[in-house]
Amino acid sequence: MSRGNYDHDRRREAIPESGEQRLRSAIIKIGEDPEFHPTHELPRVAKYLRTNLPASAPAISEGFRIGVTEQPYKIPYYSSLLALLFAPEDPAPDAQDGPSTSSEHVARVVLDDFFKGFQAFLDRLAWRELRLCIHFFSHLVLLQTVSATSMLALLQSFAAVLDEPGVSFYRAQQAALCVGEGLIRAGSVLYDAHREEITELLASISSLSESYTTLKALTRPVTLYHDPAHASGSDELLDSLLAVLSELQAASFPLVSCIPRSHEHFPQTTTSPFDLPAVLVPPEVVEIDGEEAAAADPEKSSIKTDMPSSYLRLFHDESTPSLSTPAGFVLRSAFSDVIGIFEVNRKECARILLEMPRWVENGTFKGKTGVSPPEGADPPNEDANETGWILENTIVETLLSTLLLLPAPPHKPVYYFSLVTELCKASPQTVGPAVGKSFRKLYSLLGEGLDVEVARRFSEWFSSHMSNFGFNWVWREWIPDLSLASHHPKRAFIRRALEYETRLSYHDRVLKTLPPEFQAAEAEAIAAEAPGPLFEYDDPAHPLYEPAQSLLTLIRGRSKADEVVQHAETLRSTISDTPNLTPDSAVRSIAVQCLLHVGARSFSHFLNAIERYLALLRSLSNTADDKADILDAAGRFWIKNSQMVGIVFDKFMQYQIVEPGDVIAWAFRTATGHRLGTNEWDIVKVALDKSIGRVLLTKRKVALLRKEEEDVSARAKAQAAAEEDSQMDVEAEKKDDAVVSDSPALQTSLKALATLTREQRMTFSRALDEFVAVLTKSASPSIGVIGAEAWEGRADWNEEQWQFWEMWGWYRHFCRAYAVHLGTYAATLETVSLGETIGGDVGEAARLVRQTWNAALGREM
Amino acid sequence: MAHIVSCLDQPSTYKDSYSKVERSRQAEVLSRSTTLYVGNLSFYTTEEQIYELFGKCAVPEEGGGLKRIIMGLDRNTRTPCGFCFVEYYTHGEALAAMRYVSGTKLDERIIRCDLDLGYKEGRQFGRGKSGGQVRDEHRQDYDPGRGGWGAQAQAEQERRTARERLYEDAQDGPGAVAGGGGDWREEDVQGHPYASGSGMKRGHDDMDDEEFQDRSNRPKGEPTDT
Repeated sequence: MSRGNYDHDRRREAIPESGEQRLRSAIIKIGEDPEFHPTHELPRVAKYLRTNLPASAPAISEGFRIGVTEQPYKIPYYSSLLALLFAPEDPAPDAQDGPSTSSEHVARVVLDDFFKGFQAFLDRLAWRELRLCIHFFSHLVLLQTVSATSMLALLQSFAAVLDEPGVSFYRAQQAALCVGEGLIRAGSVLYDAHREEITELLASISSLSESYTTLKALTRPVTLYHDPAHASGSDELLDSLLAVLSELQAASFPLVSCIPRSHEHFPQTTTSPFDLPAVLVPPEVVEIDGEEAAAADPEKSSIKTDMPSSYLRLFHDESTPSLSTPAGFVLRSAFSDVIGIFEVNRKECARILLEMPRWVENGTFKGKTGVSPPEGADPPNEDANETGWILENTIVETLLSTLLLLPAPPHKPVYYFSLVTELCKASPQTVGPAVGKSFRKLYSLLGEGLDVEVARRFSEWFSSHMSNFGFNWVWREWIPDLSLASHHPKRAFIRRALEYETRLSYHDRVLKTLPPEFQAAEAEAIAAEAPGPLFEYDDPAHPLYEPAQSLLTLIRGRSKADEVVQHAETLRSTISDTPNLTPDSAVRSIAVQCLLHVGARSFSHFLNAIERYLALLRSLSNTADDKADILDAAGRFWIKNSQMVGIVFDKFMQYQIVEPGDVIAWAFRTATGHRLGTNEWDIVKVALDKSIGRVLLTKRKVALLRKEEEDVSARAKAQAAAEEDSQMDVEAEKKDDAVVSDSPALQTSLKALATLTREQRMTFSRALDEFVAVLTKSASPSIGVIGAEAWEGRADWNEEQWQFWEMWGWYRHFCRAYAVHLGTYAATLETVSLGETIGGDVGEAARLVRQTWNAALGREM
Repeated sequence: MAHIVSCLDQPSTYKDSYSKVERSRQAEVLSRSTTLYVGNLSFYTTEEQIYELFGKCAVPEEGGGLKRIIMGLDRNTRTPCGFCFVEYYTHGEALAAMRYVSGTKLDERIIRCDLDLGYKEGRQFGRGKSGGQVRDEHRQDYDPGRGGWGAQAQAEQERRTARERLYEDAQDGPGAVAGGGGDWREEDVQGHPYASGSGMKRGHDDMDDEEFQDRSNRPKGEPTDT
């Protein structure tokens, strides 16, 4: 949403609505009257629209387009409304033309114009809008307003995408959803006349789905390393779509129970249905180095991943509909669309989600009144409100299973956190219990195969939620789990959740929410004291106390940076060797800890300290070993506070005191036995992301400079052409070539890009090396946690085994989260880092390392 | 997507009375702003708490991140007075915070965010007559999170006192506030240009000129600590 549009909208609010705006909002707002009944309201609105046709056809079709793509839950009514435009008018006294033909004609104009909008969505591959327009067309097929043959042809055009050579998973999946969701709605009409064609459509979706078996295994929220086929506990979107279509086909595509049957209220309005024009789904824009990055909209808020979507199941089938049933699929995707569309306003989103029962058939949700039955139909079953699913559970399950998608949800996790909060504020009595049940369900999956990244996101959501609701949680429930192994996922979750709570609040506040069992030292749930700094040279008994104090005094006294640098230099020669520490390392450690000590009061104090003494840090960080010393000293200073480690390392990279590769090395070096826990993984991620961000920014800059130069050279050419109008010859051509050569600014940027790209490759290589080294070390217990038998015996696992299990999890996440980048450097990485796993060592661990890698890179077995 | 509902990431109609930027230009600056004003903070909320919450909107993989936080201070007492500026590296991150963080709780208070024209020297201080924020001078309610003293537990009291003293060394004038680190520069890798300390001048900091070369890692001035 650009500011321009915003201003425009604001102006629009300020002045009275114009005629066209009134028309648009008459369409958009249908159904909002609490007494809404389609047979009353729709004919009235249709009549009003007709009086403004054909003159206002563009405004009316825009109203439909907005309604369909932004309030898809009203599509059954929008389609009926459009069909009604075809209906013969009541003969007006002054009517000159035959009434029926004029209605037909103007309604076609509206549909024609609507289709132009569809074509525009197609041109920019706006998949959600395309899919929702297909819903609309499908309902028009039920109304016999759109011809079944043209609808089938439309679906076939989308199905053609599935057979494109080298089609991306994302594109194929979106196209499959367009086809499948069209069939779910229009199948009852299409299947009668086109059995074979429909069977073919299903077959192409089926073969698409089958070709991603390995990738699906890598993105399941509940997973067993030894059994890639293990799929219980979650529903993969394409699998579910197929299950739904097969079920519907077996019954000759009956109407899905929850979708309002608005079309049954109205008679057929035209005898010559509209033929949707033929379309071709345009190819994806091919990524050319740099251009894609430059074109990327920096304001875009959704992230599209090229991986299957496996939705975690949190409730039983009686409580919420399964994604793999027709009604479940329809409802879940309806909720999901609302969550995506209203991302711009989470408060409105919460309200609309809670009002969703209004837009589905009565009896869909327990205790909620849905659409009123048509007049003259059987009176609603008295018990209708007593059957059905639980609305709040369905909303919360849709929302959380989206939040927990791997490798990443479509929006920032914090959006989903805030949306849950708004739902709870809007209806605490009903949403609260659904949230509580979800916490318990997720917790129960810890140690039962819940993916490490899902567990991390769960703890982040848990703590954010607690921060918004007074940190009230019944910790008592989990007291028995405190006797599990310390690195059991449940205990790791407890520690992490409390740590995240503490970051958002403060130690004493969190401590007093806990029962004594959790406060006990042996519970290892929370530290006894606030996670403060640890200045190693504070103790006068420390052998380096004196030199540290001397440097600290200078820094505190705000001495000039070069004086401090000089003093550090002097210290080096005065410090005698201490055990395990060279004088050089000692000085680095002292300098870093002194700066952090001075900057320990707050983030700003830290920034001020290091900005003032950047020269000192730089003079001490020339080699990779120096940088390791610096990170080690900082890591020890904030050893009790992982948040500060993250902040300090991030800024050290920002100020280019250390490089992302140094930080990655630190994370593995510091982890117990080099086995990453969640906090160490977070540090690895900070480093990888920093490296990726730098390359992206530089690519954008290069693209921008290129474009500027092209513009300049185009202008120069035009000018030259104008000047030498008549004598455009070889000489002039040569001159042009000279102008085209890269400017110094562009050359600098290109050089920077080359450096950063090389560094990025090294950063990824470093991380991969470390993972492979730990996981495939011969005779390591790493192997002892990946077999089926081992897993069955996990009740007796020791700390090391759980740590290895987690390490495998982070390796999987590393591969799937950074698949695009790993793919870019695949050739090098496979030779350098994975070489050993291909040749000599063919053990279980090497095999799993390799298999995970191949799966992430989309190489299906 | 603004036909059905309004977007939460739109700036308020607040006009900074001290700003010399014209209204039309102001809209333009806000449409690219990377800075948020954050209000209704507890006086005792720390920068690290703010970092934790606002960090959730950071997009480091697109070159973003949390650049710096500037705590709003009472002009006279140098104690936090309930607001701060959060500066990101990218505009998208600021918008995300407007959508997802504004109106949620931090330290058990509902905080409010607004897109801001960008930090300018001196803006970290309250403008009220008393030294705090103007809005607090109009406030009639008793608010323990914002300076009201109830019968607090001893530990709580100590925490609060410590928080209040945190910024007693805060300075004003040019360069009192750190920059947070700029874009990546090749020179920095090859040799440290500031090793001699000669480059310790405040960097050029014009909003329109935040380029690769100019928005450097140059230190922005004096540290505030003792």
